[in-house]
Amino acid sequence: MQLPVLMIRKSDVGPWLATLIAKAEVIAPERGLCGEVTFSKIHSPEQVLWDFENPLWPPKQFVLPQTDPIVRIQRSGDGIEIAPIYDDRRRILFNVRPCDAKGIAFLTRMHEADPPDASYLRRAANLTVISLACNKPCPLGFCICSDSGPFLNGGQDIQLTDLGEKYLVEIGSEKGEAAVADAMHLFGAVSEDEKAQRKVLESEARQRFGEQTCHFGSAMRRISTRRVDDALWERMSDWCLGCGGCNFICPTCYCFSVKDRGGDGAWTRCRTWDSCQYAAFTLEASGHNPRAERRERMKRRFFHKVSAQYYVRDGMTGCVGCGRCIKVCLGATDMPAVVAAIRQRAWHEH
Amino acid sequence: MSTDVFLPQIARIEAVRDETPDTKTFALRFPAPQDSAAFRFHPGQFVELSVFGCGEAPFCIASSPTRPRTFETTIRRTGTLTDALHRLGPGEEVGIRGPFGNGFDVEAARGRDLLFVAGGIGLPPLRSLIWNVLDERESFQNVTILYGARTPVDLVYKDELKSWAATVGVDFHVTVDNATPGWTGSVGMVPVLFTKTTLRPETTLAYVCGPPIMIKFVVQDLFMRGFRDESVVSTLERMMQCGIGKCNHCAIGHRYVCRDGPVFNFKQIRELVE
Repeated sequence: MQLPVLMIRKSDVGPWLATLIAKAEVIAPERGLCGEVTFSKIHSPEQVLWDFENPLWPPKQFVLPQTDPIVRIQRSGDGIEIAPIYDDRRRILFNVRPCDAKGIAFLTRMHEADPPDASYLRRAANLTVISLACNKPCPLGFCICSDSGPFLNGGQDIQLTDLGEKYLVEIGSEKGEAAVADAMHLFGAVSEDEKAQRKVLESEARQRFGEQTCHFGSAMRRISTRRVDDALWERMSDWCLGCGGCNFICPTCYCFSVKDRGGDGAWTRCRTWDSCQYAAFTLEASGHNPRAERRERMKRRFFHKVSAQYYVRDGMTGCVGCGRCIKVCLGATDMPAVVAAIRQRAWHEH
Repeated sequence: MSTDVFLPQIARIEAVRDETPDTKTFALRFPAPQDSAAFRFHPGQFVELSVFGCGEAPFCIASSPTRPRTFETTIRRTGTLTDALHRLGPGEEVGIRGPFGNGFDVEAARGRDLLFVAGGIGLPPLRSLIWNVLDERESFQNVTILYGARTPVDLVYKDELKSWAATVGVDFHVTVDNATPGWTGSVGMVPVLFTKTTLRPETTLAYVCGPPIMIKFVVQDLFMRGFRDESVVSTLERMMQCGIGKCNHCAIGHRYVCRDGPVFNFKQIRELVE
């Protein structure tokens, strides 16, 4: 089925957003108290930023919260009662970048896999993602290397493209159709010229990537076939502080732990983000730790993200090229740096 | 099983037996008949056991599916959750998710000679298969059980060890690393027992379970004695939190010990790439 491509004048976006806010929780980039940009729930269309630096925290927290209550456990009389906790709130992610939209698609595909994870999937089923294509790549982004931007070409609910006076509205799913249904009078037909303009903008954006690249191909071959020397992992791991920051800001990282919180006969079982870079991640009660060394943990992270084995399973690399790990890493072991070192078989001290 | 993968079923502790000063065997049963009927397992599979308020952790099923009235799990007290579990007694409730994992391939073992080599707390997962084999004794050829622990007090299932020693058609030997007064049996690590029995590498499936260092020495010895990678089977231990291949704690390469394992033969173990 050919899904519609429409356009909306910039002055009409506010009224459209108002219809969205009326029926769902709308999460969009907004300016925080200290000037930082964050994804947060907005109450009026004016809060939404249109020209912004991508927030350091990706929007994954709205499908996979850092602390996610999944089971309610209650002592009652002499027995225990257990019930699942679901979050069925309707949410719209508005003005997220293609890399983050792709990150959520990655997470959803992973959670759909056998056995399906109901707690995640119910949240994802109520989520509509409206993304804003990047006419200008961000300084640290390398989405072009992982096929996650600067424009989406399929898989989106809705993708907006800034055409100057108006936005092109590419609808890619039923959820996308539902998001415009209540405001159809604000949308107009799109001309062939405007469709052509979008193609030009995409091609121009693709030419405008700077120095930041990440050539996954040869790194993938070497990682998948165990042809990266332990000595190289060892040298690189000297530059990793093991803080786990790269995991937490990564749009595709989803490793978790399960903990019970509460007391006095009433507990909430929570899933919480965990990091494969922590020594305790694999520590067993016996004291045995299969990944006691930092180099082993680093190797694990990049195997999961870049190996062909996972590429086959997940249909894409576990990296959307958003560049957040470059920004957050206190050492220098971000994705492009490690991929380059594996490709060149040498680590350049920074 | 519930449709929600994270929702435990309530199970009741039927009996608790002390095995060693820090290890107990818990016999569990589902009070809800539908849960009980739905709980079918293979030897070598594990469950995620919840002590409510403490969380959950993976434990192997130590009893045989041929004795389905209850199922048992043998647990050493070694942390917060197991500490709390050790304080629970008959009648109290725990949560169970599972069974998870592939388990031992019992069908492939029929008609073969079987060698069980266990170290310390590594006996419980093998015990599930051992009782399965002994309950269907006529389907299997020679059965040899070799078991070692640090000291005599660390041996689990002491009564059952005596009964295996007395069973006709079971070649059973036990050793301890350090003898204590009154111990008259073998002393030394498990491989010392290989000299006490007849090994038949061509026809035997060997099941090895114990601490990593014990597994290492035992399998080295078995390969030197002519066993092939495919016929040496072990069950790997990892921190399996979700049991369904999602949380990534137990991943080795793109394989998940909780789903692809925990039972692997050594050919498969060598193929675990990371």
